[in-house]
Amino acid sequence: MYKITLENITHSYGDKEVLQNFSFSFQQGKITCLLGPSGCGKTTVLRLVAGLEKPSAGMVKINGSVVSKNGEILLPPHQRKIGFVFQDLALWPHFTVFDNIAFALKEKKEDNIKDKVTELLDLFGISNKAPKYPHQLSGGQKQMVAIARSLIMKPEILLMDEPMANIDIQLKENILNHLLKIHQQQKFTMLYVTHDHREALKTGDEIIIMNTGKIETAGTKEEIRNSTNSFLQFY
Amino acid sequence: MKFGFKYIPFLLLVLLLVLPLALLFVQWLTGKEGMQLFSFIDRAYLLLMGKSLLISGIVALLATITGTVCAFLLYKFQFSFNKFYRVALLLPLFISPYIFAVAWKDGFFWLLGNSATIYSEAGVIMVHTFVFFPLAMLITGTTLSQIHSGYEEAGLMTVSFRRMMMKIVLPLIRPALTISFLLILLFSLSDFSIPAFFGVRTFTTEIFTQFSAFYNFPLAIGQSVLLLLVCLLLMLSEARYLSDAPFLSVSAKGSFSKKYQTGNRKVLVHGFIWILLASALLIPVLMLTVQSFTGRTLFFAEAWELIRPAAFQSVKLAFAGACIITFIGLWTAFVKERKNQKLPDLLLLLTFIVPSTVLGIALIRYYNHPALNFIYGTSLILLIAYLGKFGFIASRIIGNGIKQIPVSFEEAASVAGIPSKKVFLKISLPLLVPSLFTAFVLSFILCLGELGATMMVYPPGTELMTVKTFTISANAPEALTSSMTLINLGVTVFFILLLFVFGKWMFKKFQYV
Repeated sequence: MYKITLENITHSYGDKEVLQNFSFSFQQGKITCLLGPSGCGKTTVLRLVAGLEKPSAGMVKINGSVVSKNGEILLPPHQRKIGFVFQDLALWPHFTVFDNIAFALKEKKEDNIKDKVTELLDLFGISNKAPKYPHQLSGGQKQMVAIARSLIMKPEILLMDEPMANIDIQLKENILNHLLKIHQQQKFTMLYVTHDHREALKTGDEIIIMNTGKIETAGTKEEIRNSTNSFLQFY
Repeated sequence: MKFGFKYIPFLLLVLLLVLPLALLFVQWLTGKEGMQLFSFIDRAYLLLMGKSLLISGIVALLATITGTVCAFLLYKFQFSFNKFYRVALLLPLFISPYIFAVAWKDGFFWLLGNSATIYSEAGVIMVHTFVFFPLAMLITGTTLSQIHSGYEEAGLMTVSFRRMMMKIVLPLIRPALTISFLLILLFSLSDFSIPAFFGVRTFTTEIFTQFSAFYNFPLAIGQSVLLLLVCLLLMLSEARYLSDAPFLSVSAKGSFSKKYQTGNRKVLVHGFIWILLASALLIPVLMLTVQSFTGRTLFFAEAWELIRPAAFQSVKLAFAGACIITFIGLWTAFVKERKNQKLPDLLLLLTFIVPSTVLGIALIRYYNHPALNFIYGTSLILLIAYLGKFGFIASRIIGNGIKQIPVSFEEAASVAGIPSKKVFLKISLPLLVPSLFTAFVLSFILCLGELGATMMVYPPGTELMTVKTFTISANAPEALTSSMTLINLGVTVFFILLLFVFGKWMFKKFQYV
């Protein structure tokens, strides 16, 4: 499990500044939820941690080492030991469920690929979907495959970008329970982006409330519940 | 490796294609061979340019109107044989234009007893309109099918259907109409084969005559530069939209566009389409066939003997050309869409709009050097010309394919620890197969029918189907010309059908939902 630190990050897309002097330390082994309205910069934080974006200014540290700094990527994404669940899930349409999950293992020529994949599929209760293609799955099943894929390499950091959007509450509960169980076992550092404050309160050890590229407030569930921050009251 | 991927194809593109055009400018500016800077601009040549622009302008207007009407009918209304009509009406675009010139000459001879009427500006306008209207249909139709149904439905809540079309749909497709008009204007202005066949003097035929018949290189270069400048100015007016060319795409997603019923106007719609189909495709083919079989001697055996070696050579070269074009197209599209390097794609756009004869002259002047004889004296020069003419089309088809692949697919693999080369080979490339195949097929068919640049640059000893048929038409009996043209058409249609069948199988296998 890794500690993630963002120091004085400013980031823009063209003329639009999405993060302004953003600093935060994500605690190792904990789940931190990023909550806030659309366009407030939540996804950008995840992409900066993953190394998919170069910060315009400031630095990103993982486990004490600087991995990105002032427009430069010092450690490429694939060396950061990260699992990422994308908002659109990004399941590769030309691979079966099994191959989607096994791809990274195969490329790294790991042993016991079948066992490792089957174990995860069993955990999510979708073993029978292994030979199916993504378009043959329901929304919830796709979600589970995406999460399973992000966990297969036993990451030290798990980044989840609104992974439960567009699925019903019962299924969401089910998947979250699976995820929390795995987190209990593996203890990776997890950043979880969501719009839904109930989801954040259920999942997060710590919650960050963001607005227009800045942190409005941050704290534990209790601290957030008791906060008198005006934006939070409104939000 | 990174340096190679980034710069070698770019350097090749500049060295092989862009430098010849730049050299043409330099030769013009430095006034080599006693050339005065503006000696070619005299009243007669400017009038000729005006006449060429007028002919092309009329063609562009007529073809854009016809193509837009077709697009509205075929892409916004539901009726039987709709898909068949779409494919059939597109065919003239992929067949070498001079085939239609020969066919219509036969048609006029058969209908009116002489073909003198068609040997005129009106003849050029008519045949060009039938050849180029499918382009307007394709561009406008694709844009129409991308208009989200919600826009139209929201409009229909407040105004009538006709008003909604005028006020909502028409403004939305205005860029497509402009680009159709512009591209057809450029293509018509650049075409050499139809005016030359009908004996109509245009700026392009004049350049060809000065260069190939009178060997007046300084004048031909000066005229080429003038035509190039006109084309560049036309291109620059819409360069941004052209360089994104959304109509050149293979869509994996279904259309979100709203479709309407034809109601009691079904007969009218079918009637209009059949008249157009007959004029653009069926009558010309029928006329070619009739003309081939009239006369005392049957020329088919002779025609086949003449064209056979050229046909094999043409297919071989078109195949090689299509492979190179698809490879370079993939590279330019990839660096544009994923690395935000737009210059290679812009360079291909530049060579795409250069008239064939001008490109031909530029290549001849550049490669006609003892050290470069391995290009000038071989088929390599033809492959370079093909790349210049059709590389942009392939690049845009593949580029639009890349745009349809969410970046997150590649990012997910990167985060999972896969090196970028493998991400490209295992994730991007398999998903691009339909676009790559389409780019290959289009390039192959277009290379097979290319005449303008081929006429200028084909090396001695190289026999090509289009050139052979075109050159023989000046002296051979009409029935022999028609027979050769019909065989030429048959070969093209054979490959279109073959690749269509293969494409259907391949799309089923590789187009992921």
